[in-house]
Amino acid sequence: MLTKGNLLTYLIALLIILTLNFFLPRMMPGDPLMAIYGDEALVQMSPQLKADLTERFALDQSLAEQFASYWLALFRGDLGYSYSYNAPVTEVIFGRLPWTLLLAGLALLLSTAIGIMLGIESGWRRGGRFDSGVLSGMVTLSGFPDFFLGILLLLLFAVNLKVLPLFGAEDVYSGLSGFARLIDIGEHLILPLTTLVLARITGGYLLTRNTMIGVLKEPYILLARAKGLKPRTVKYRHAGRNSMLPVMTQTGIWMGLMVTGVLFIEVVFSYPGIGLLAYDALTFRDYPVLQGLLLVSAFCVLGANFIVDLLYARVDPRVSYAH
Amino acid sequence: MKSVLKIEDLKVSFDGESILRGINLEVADDECLAVIGESGAGKTTLGLSIMGLLNGNTAGQINLGDTNILTLSEEEMRNLRWSHVAMAFQSSQNRLNPTHRILDQVAEPLIAHGKQEKAPAREKAAGLLEKVGIEPEKLSHYPHELSGGEQQRVLIAMALVNEPELLILDEPISSLDAKSQVEMIAFLRRAIAGRMTLLVTHNLSTAAKLASRTATLYGGRIVELGPTNLMLSQPRHPYTRALLRSYPNMTTVKDLQGIKGRMDRRVIGCPFHPRCTQAIPICREQIPALENHEGRLVACHRGGIIPALSVTDISKSFKTLKAVDGVSLVLEHGETLALVGQSGSGKTTLARMLSGILEPDAGEIFIEHRKAGQPSKDFHRTVQLVFQNPGEALSHRLTVLEAVREPLEVQGIGTRAEQDKAARKVIEEVELPTTEEFLDELRLEIRGSYRALTQARRSYDLQKRSVTLAKRRRKLAVLQQKEGQASARDVLEAEDALRRAQNGMTEALISYTTTRLRFLTTLGLVWVDEKGRVHERAEPFKFDRIRKRYPRAFEP
Amino acid sequence: MHIDPKQEVVKSKGGRLGLTLLLVVVLMAIFADLLTPYDPLAQTAQSFESPSWEHLLGTNHVGQDIWSQLVYGARTSLVVGLLVAALSTVLAALIGASTALIGGVYDRIVMRLVDAFIIIPMILLLILLSIYVDPNLGSGAIIAIEVLIGIIVVGIAFYMVRSLGWVGLLIIGPVLALIVLARNLLPTTGGLIIILSLLSWQGGARTLRAQALALKEKPHVAAARGFGANTWYIIRRHIIPDMGPLLVADFVFCVRRAVFLQAGMAFLGIGNPNVVSWGSMINDARQWIFLDAWRWWLVPAGVALSITIVAITLIGSALEPALDPRLRGEVSAQN
Repeated sequence: MLTKGNLLTYLIALLIILTLNFFLPRMMPGDPLMAIYGDEALVQMSPQLKADLTERFALDQSLAEQFASYWLALFRGDLGYSYSYNAPVTEVIFGRLPWTLLLAGLALLLSTAIGIMLGIESGWRRGGRFDSGVLSGMVTLSGFPDFFLGILLLLLFAVNLKVLPLFGAEDVYSGLSGFARLIDIGEHLILPLTTLVLARITGGYLLTRNTMIGVLKEPYILLARAKGLKPRTVKYRHAGRNSMLPVMTQTGIWMGLMVTGVLFIEVVFSYPGIGLLAYDALTFRDYPVLQGLLLVSAFCVLGANFIVDLLYARVDPRVSYAH
Repeated sequence: MKSVLKIEDLKVSFDGESILRGINLEVADDECLAVIGESGAGKTTLGLSIMGLLNGNTAGQINLGDTNILTLSEEEMRNLRWSHVAMAFQSSQNRLNPTHRILDQVAEPLIAHGKQEKAPAREKAAGLLEKVGIEPEKLSHYPHELSGGEQQRVLIAMALVNEPELLILDEPISSLDAKSQVEMIAFLRRAIAGRMTLLVTHNLSTAAKLASRTATLYGGRIVELGPTNLMLSQPRHPYTRALLRSYPNMTTVKDLQGIKGRMDRRVIGCPFHPRCTQAIPICREQIPALENHEGRLVACHRGGIIPALSVTDISKSFKTLKAVDGVSLVLEHGETLALVGQSGSGKTTLARMLSGILEPDAGEIFIEHRKAGQPSKDFHRTVQLVFQNPGEALSHRLTVLEAVREPLEVQGIGTRAEQDKAARKVIEEVELPTTEEFLDELRLEIRGSYRALTQARRSYDLQKRSVTLAKRRRKLAVLQQKEGQASARDVLEAEDALRRAQNGMTEALISYTTTRLRFLTTLGLVWVDEKGRVHERAEPFKFDRIRKRYPRAFEP
Repeated sequence: MHIDPKQEVVKSKGGRLGLTLLLVVVLMAIFADLLTPYDPLAQTAQSFESPSWEHLLGTNHVGQDIWSQLVYGARTSLVVGLLVAALSTVLAALIGASTALIGGVYDRIVMRLVDAFIIIPMILLLILLSIYVDPNLGSGAIIAIEVLIGIIVVGIAFYMVRSLGWVGLLIIGPVLALIVLARNLLPTTGGLIIILSLLSWQGGARTLRAQALALKEKPHVAAARGFGANTWYIIRRHIIPDMGPLLVADFVFCVRRAVFLQAGMAFLGIGNPNVVSWGSMINDARQWIFLDAWRWWLVPAGVALSITIVAITLIGSALEPALDPRLRGEVSAQN
């Protein structure tokens, strides 16, 4: 739930990242410009560009002044300049962000929802065939790293069966629009989304299942059965309602795993989101982009945490503020 | 069509342990039947089995009208639940769903069973909640925002909302404070009027106020069943009486009295026999059936509580003085009776006759319905005179060991060696030294231990005709109080007597004053006048009234 | 409550399966030299050779024997996993216990930092740190790291043998063997180990702190204090032993995370290219999925990695009911 404490935590997290972002490159020995851009990029830069950048980021000034100009730049929304893309980092990142939000957002919703549903069913039928089957399946699934899973799915459906596209978020060259474009985007989404959902479903499932097992022993479940309610009602409205609470608490913490997942999946499927951007930036040693990505993704994660906190209060009445 | 609840030979067991062992009950469609018993007796199990919510093995029949509930499928059972049979559970932590508002939870069964649409259902639920005393603002609250008492009221409203044919109330007021209890009882009285209700509780006053008939549940069986007011004022089964005695009551001044031992389900024969003061061999072997005795159903081989001692019209004269003139008394098992009277009124004589030391000139003495003939060894096994001054009870010529051995010698039980051994054991039990030195002392020398020694002597279970130590001691003790004794000792004596009573002893106490008697769970008081006649038998709390009528006797 | 971790694992079917699978992998790692004649990094034949008796899984795109890479890769995963988990758990225990016992401002500040770190998406931090902190360390640093790791491992070994007897030896023996055999990995992976450890201890610190807080209030601790025991004694004799099961569970989940992250980093191409690991195998194989070679190149590496992680997960799950009593019992809700 959202408390003053939580907000404080988020702020501190943000501060840590910002500070790291600032200090890390400047702690390396040598020319800060080199640290920020890497020696390869530096070699290729014209002296004019170097001078520009130095001035822009006050790299020839004292640390304190650099710090100041860093913060000022941040408030301006200036995250630096990407050498390899030849554009401001902000532009580069925000150009790719929507695709990731689409993928990650859908994956989060689906994996949470399906995980909870299966967890409720499994907990209800604990020890039965359904439960044993799904549980074993989930445990096995949880062992597969998401990138391996993605490659397997890619191999099966895209390479061998050739029913789904190999890469990208849409077919950029065919000039589709409107509904057709939506379908195209959808086709491209299927494999990465499926992989991501499969990778993230196990956490929610296991937690819900465990909670459900405990909830079913509570006195109010006996009362619900005594009231002659249909088993389905008892299962969902009474038991399920109470069992999904821990998952909501954990969702915030699991966001970090989602980021990891997104990164790997985008790499495997060449999906043009910020995950792939990170990978490319890594390959090209485009440090400003990487730093900008850390900041933006941290922001997104914290934002998502914040939203979940707000929602949780509405879902669990035992959490009260103004009462 | 009159729908009646008829439970026949219901047996329920879990994991091999039998909880209910053959319950037979019938509830008419307009009456409230209470089932009372201690915690763990199986009361809630009974309620749950009627609802079909048990996980154990069930056998027998539960007939509601024409339907045997135990034969219904889960689906049929589900339809039955809450629309025909509803249970008001006892409120506890998490009894109500923490994520649903209470109005929704109460309205839910109405909607689920198709009785009403959402809006009218909520209205009805709201109305009912108001009647049980929940303020309107709280209707949209969640359970954790309500107090325990309020939660209990919600549970009761929830049970009533579907107007079931059979209502089961499980401890409906135990989580309420005193004032709320009174209000709730008033409400329940109206709510269950004309409705078939099964009340399950350990609280006897609730049963008294709500139920027309009551059944006592012990060891998985019904041991007594009868009209509530009769059962609670004159219980016929020792367990029901014991329940009553353990219950604090604003009017009596007696102490609480427990029953020794604990309920053990695995007992063969009558479930109560290990704790019963009037058990006979058959009680250990056979389960007594619930039979009609004097307008009550009692499950006891002896037909309920029987008199331990009854005397009819006994008299004794010494030369010209008629000490005791036509006294009749009944002393029931487990009862403590006080005989009060002035000095010279013949109490001592009466005491000695009751203990078999003196023979009456006329009249008869019965021990458990058996006439006592000549004071015989048999008689003395059952009745014993206990002296106020224990030192006097021991001959000062005997050594400790001999003194403690005496009762066995007299009764001729066991060999010398066995007697010695038993004596030593018994001395150890009262925590006296068993060194040879001590045992050889003449009792004269050991002042402090008199009480303990006399207690030791009383430990033998002479009934068993063997040198064993009894858990249940003598059946009957007649305790005589001397004149003018210091009060501290009297208090001790009173405590002793209390302890003995808790061990199931039956006692007749002969005393001068009544003050100390208030300590004891007496059931009666008999006033013997100067002419040796017996006048009154009264409940202890009526002492004051007697005192007014016979002031002279009660001078300290 | 007396929970015996090894009993719990052995009792459950899943736990036994996990142990067995893990044992296979461990043995594969220890006896790597015996299982294959080739050096995994040496070019021993043509590229993309199909499986044969000389090359059980064929060769990869530069002619290296895949089977060799597979068995030696086990070493990398296990060593990194175990060492990261060891360092992490020790850190988590120290921080958890100290914040619980010391409390006050120290507690509040540290826990606030811990919470912040838990929320930060780790992967990007890892990437950045790995760039800026050169994974190839100088020899001085290597020695320092080796010594540090040596101390911790030996310490844990002693503790395990003392408290678990011969079972402890059974567990710690192969681990030590593995570490000794793989010490050549340390220079190249040491940096990664350190970085991963620094980012993995936070979750454990929370749970261990909670446990320490509960233990602190227990009567036997108060009794010991009554005899004049100091804080160190309390930690050693009363807190750590009772935290045993939690520590073990934390360790197991740490290993899992570490194995996964190491593979992930290798997959992304971060780290020393001379380190053979399943992650890097998957990465290399990925470039060539159009050829048939994926069958004996990509799949075995991925499966080996998955089996290892599943095994660890099973062991961890077997421990869970021991920690949460509500999960015991086999009753289904359906009646």
